[in-house]
Amino acid sequence: MATDTATAPATTETDHDHPAHLEHHFVSTEQQFDSAKLGMWLFLITEILLFAGMFVAYAVYRQWHPEAFLEASVTLDQFLGTVNTIVLLTSSLTVALSIHYIQKDEQSKSFWSLIATLALAGVFLVIKYFEYTAKFEHGIYPGALFDPHGAKYEPLANIPYVAQFFSIYFVMTGIHGVHVVVGMGIIAWIASRVYRGHFGSDYFTHVELTGLYWHLVDIIWIFLYPMLYLV
Amino acid sequence: MSTDASAAAVHAPEEGAHGEDENYLNHETGLWSWLTTRDHKRIGIMYCLSLAVVFFAAGMLAMAIRAELIAPGQTVMDADTYNQVFTMHGIMMVFLFLVPSIPAILGNFVLPLQIGAKDVAFPRLNLASWYVYMAGAIMTIVALVTGGVDTGWTFYTPYSSSTGGGILWMTAAIFVAGFASIFTGINFIVTIHKMRAPGMTWNRLPLFIWGLYATSIVQVLATPVIGITMLLLILEQSLGIGIFDPALGGDPILFQHFFWFYSHPAVYIMILPAFGILSELIATFSRQRIFGYRAIALSSVAISLLGFMVWGHHMFVSGQSAVSSIIFSLITYLIGIPSGIKVFNWVATMYKGSIWLQTPMLYALSFLFLFTIGGFTGIMVGVLAVDVHLHDTYYVVAHFHYVMMGGSVMALLGGMHYWWPKMTGKMYNETLGKIAVALIFIGFNLTFFTQFILGAQGMPRRYYDYVEKYAPLHELSTYGSWVLGLGLFLVLGYAIHSLYWGKKAPANPWAAATLEWTNVAALPDPHNFLRTPLVTRGPYDFHLADEVFGGGDGVGDGRAATAGTLEAPKPAPSAPEPQESH
Amino acid sequence: MSQGHHIIPQRVLLGVFGSLIVLTGVTYGLAQINLGVLEVPVALAIASTKAVLVVMYFMALKYDNPVNTLTFAVGVIFVGIFITFTLFDTAFRGDIGNVSEQTVREIQREEEELQRRQEALTPEQLRVAPADFENAEPDPEAGTGADADRGGSSGGS
Ligand SMILES: [Cu+2]
Repeated sequence: MATDTATAPATTETDHDHPAHLEHHFVSTEQQFDSAKLGMWLFLITEILLFAGMFVAYAVYRQWHPEAFLEASVTLDQFLGTVNTIVLLTSSLTVALSIHYIQKDEQSKSFWSLIATLALAGVFLVIKYFEYTAKFEHGIYPGALFDPHGAKYEPLANIPYVAQFFSIYFVMTGIHGVHVVVGMGIIAWIASRVYRGHFGSDYFTHVELTGLYWHLVDIIWIFLYPMLYLV
Repeated sequence: MSTDASAAAVHAPEEGAHGEDENYLNHETGLWSWLTTRDHKRIGIMYCLSLAVVFFAAGMLAMAIRAELIAPGQTVMDADTYNQVFTMHGIMMVFLFLVPSIPAILGNFVLPLQIGAKDVAFPRLNLASWYVYMAGAIMTIVALVTGGVDTGWTFYTPYSSSTGGGILWMTAAIFVAGFASIFTGINFIVTIHKMRAPGMTWNRLPLFIWGLYATSIVQVLATPVIGITMLLLILEQSLGIGIFDPALGGDPILFQHFFWFYSHPAVYIMILPAFGILSELIATFSRQRIFGYRAIALSSVAISLLGFMVWGHHMFVSGQSAVSSIIFSLITYLIGIPSGIKVFNWVATMYKGSIWLQTPMLYALSFLFLFTIGGFTGIMVGVLAVDVHLHDTYYVVAHFHYVMMGGSVMALLGGMHYWWPKMTGKMYNETLGKIAVALIFIGFNLTFFTQFILGAQGMPRRYYDYVEKYAPLHELSTYGSWVLGLGLFLVLGYAIHSLYWGKKAPANPWAAATLEWTNVAALPDPHNFLRTPLVTRGPYDFHLADEVFGGGDGVGDGRAATAGTLEAPKPAPSAPEPQESH
Repeated sequence: MSQGHHIIPQRVLLGVFGSLIVLTGVTYGLAQINLGVLEVPVALAIASTKAVLVVMYFMALKYDNPVNTLTFAVGVIFVGIFITFTLFDTAFRGDIGNVSEQTVREIQREEEELQRRQEALTPEQLRVAPADFENAEPDPEAGTGADADRGGSSGGS
């Protein structure tokens, strides 16, 4: 019960240093920033619980049919999966750096960090595209169209419940991919605002929130990678 | 300050002096000003109108169900239509009415006022919530015209994943409407954490705020899961991903886990804010400090967290493992404890209080009676062996109507009457109000108590037809629904009447001690408070209000109020505030 | 005040990034050798460590308002609840009640046998409660009392 955050009457603020970005219903910039951040964390846990549904489906089917999951997961490209992991981790670093730079008023460095993040996200999606098409070529589709054929996929046709693995694989990586695309849109928008000099060490809420979102996308992938590719 | 002081009964707050005629309703006008507003009060009103339409539509469907069941065999509709009607009644009442109801209407309107804030933390997100909700409502209508839905509100697979009609639109609508709920939840949690007025500590929060806080936790944690459930169901229908459909190797019971992981906590989304309203009503109309403030506040949070660990009690006969049935049953018993704590505390608050039987208080008393029945029968169906007999019978139907309608809707009605003067600036007709309570209470019990008996005798739910021996009770239940409907229409009637011809409401007609009554004008200012209040006492410290502001005998007493000599608690002093330019 | 505005040194960010890459290498390497039952726990432990690093340093929870940490923790706990309680069912599906040593035919035959035996009983043999005797006994005096006593005690056993 000790979190008494909102009570400061903020007597220091008067008309002349009332910042332009402070909305009328907040007392201080501090309060506005804290609110936005808590709101973002709450949004992030809704994202986590959204993915939780798929983690549950994965856990249940893996526990029921471990052999099928094993046979199916070795057909995924471990090398590309690992490369993609490193790509996303690097993009997390660059977005963290962009916050670091904007806090030090180095707008230009911050901007280029965001652009680097954007590029890495693009690389991730391109690799994902090649992974998907390699699967589609051999009839590995989610759901009813599942019809494996060719090379290493042939034996899968005779193992029950591998279709479930690939359904879960496609749904999980698909929804994750949608989050990457959305993230790219947001990062592009924020990068343009950084470029136009909207943010600085006194006001960088949007950059920080974008970073939080992007790290969450990264964390989801940190779990998807071993679950789908490795074990 | 003697009790025989003359006519001027209730003091308007001093701040009311500024711009007597400027308030949140008239400071800007026109449809566009409403559609683009970020004022939490206006958004509350917009939600109120939308939800009233949904409640009316879903209520008419309920009347149609009861009309069909008045006698065995076909009476007013065929069996397929009946399936669609009860499905739409359930979906609309649960997802489009009860889940948003109290938080979106009263929460939006009252929350910032009660904690002394100018608005919620994210006003734009708040408006977005209403638009998203409307999008969900429109998609529901599309689902209706594209063939309707007859799966029941629970969408159990494999039927729901293989049937056609409007099911895709319906599931998508629920996915979309979920975001409205999430937005509201995030907004409220942040507002309560960060926007409280100076002096408004956690221990001075009105209990309605605590109820909304607990509700918001559930909204944030549970709603995403119904989102992913609906998404997977859509993928199951369109692609056949085989997660839920047994024909493709999926597990239909897994769907039930997903569904109830949201939908049991959703019950707490509906009832926790109702608990909050009840605390306000009982304290205010008993003129008594609430008994066990902390117990009531924290039991709400306890319920919201424990409520996530009981969902399997809907699945005792589904074929889930016995281990999980036992665990779920045990925790279901446990959740009776915090609910019981609340009921005892409310009763203890009334003890030796000065009870003032205005319409809102009558709703509160009805709630106590009906919710207690609903709660106890809930424990009964949580018993493993008993549930085998009662599962999917009218007993369950009666149980959740006692909780949802007898609990949530009663509290909503009580809250609407209580805050009506603040929302509209008009008083409703007290006599008609009391008549309506009586009709609703009698009608409700006639409709649903009969269903307990029907269920215990074995009448299954969702059936179109029934054997002769159930006929008398079904008939009685239908008559009850007419009384209930009459009562609700009476409320609608005098509510509309009061908007045009109602008496002008004073700023604090109930002599309540929370900020929205003591420090806000009769019709609130667009910015709520002209000066940020400085809170120096608890929300129900009527005795402190007397002491500090020199009250005498009978001050704040119900009897004095009816005699027209009521002294309202004085407004809290203003906090020192920066000069702000708008 | 300073909580939200802590600038994380570049050195720390790069160090965390290095650890993340190393951990990725480790988990990739371990996947190439067979660890048996430990495979899943080890992989998840490494993934969790990486996630904690990201949350603490990149997302700066270590330097942030505790209420944000609490929020995040609650979210994670409820994911755990969702998985655990669902597995309580799926991992033990069919544990008792819905499986039996006997076949359905055997159970049916047994039930028929019991039904047949019950039908063979005479009304006298079915008397248990005192009320059963009052209607049936033509001799009210001695018979009722004694039988009623007997019925009562046998009901208790
Ligand atoms: Cu439940």
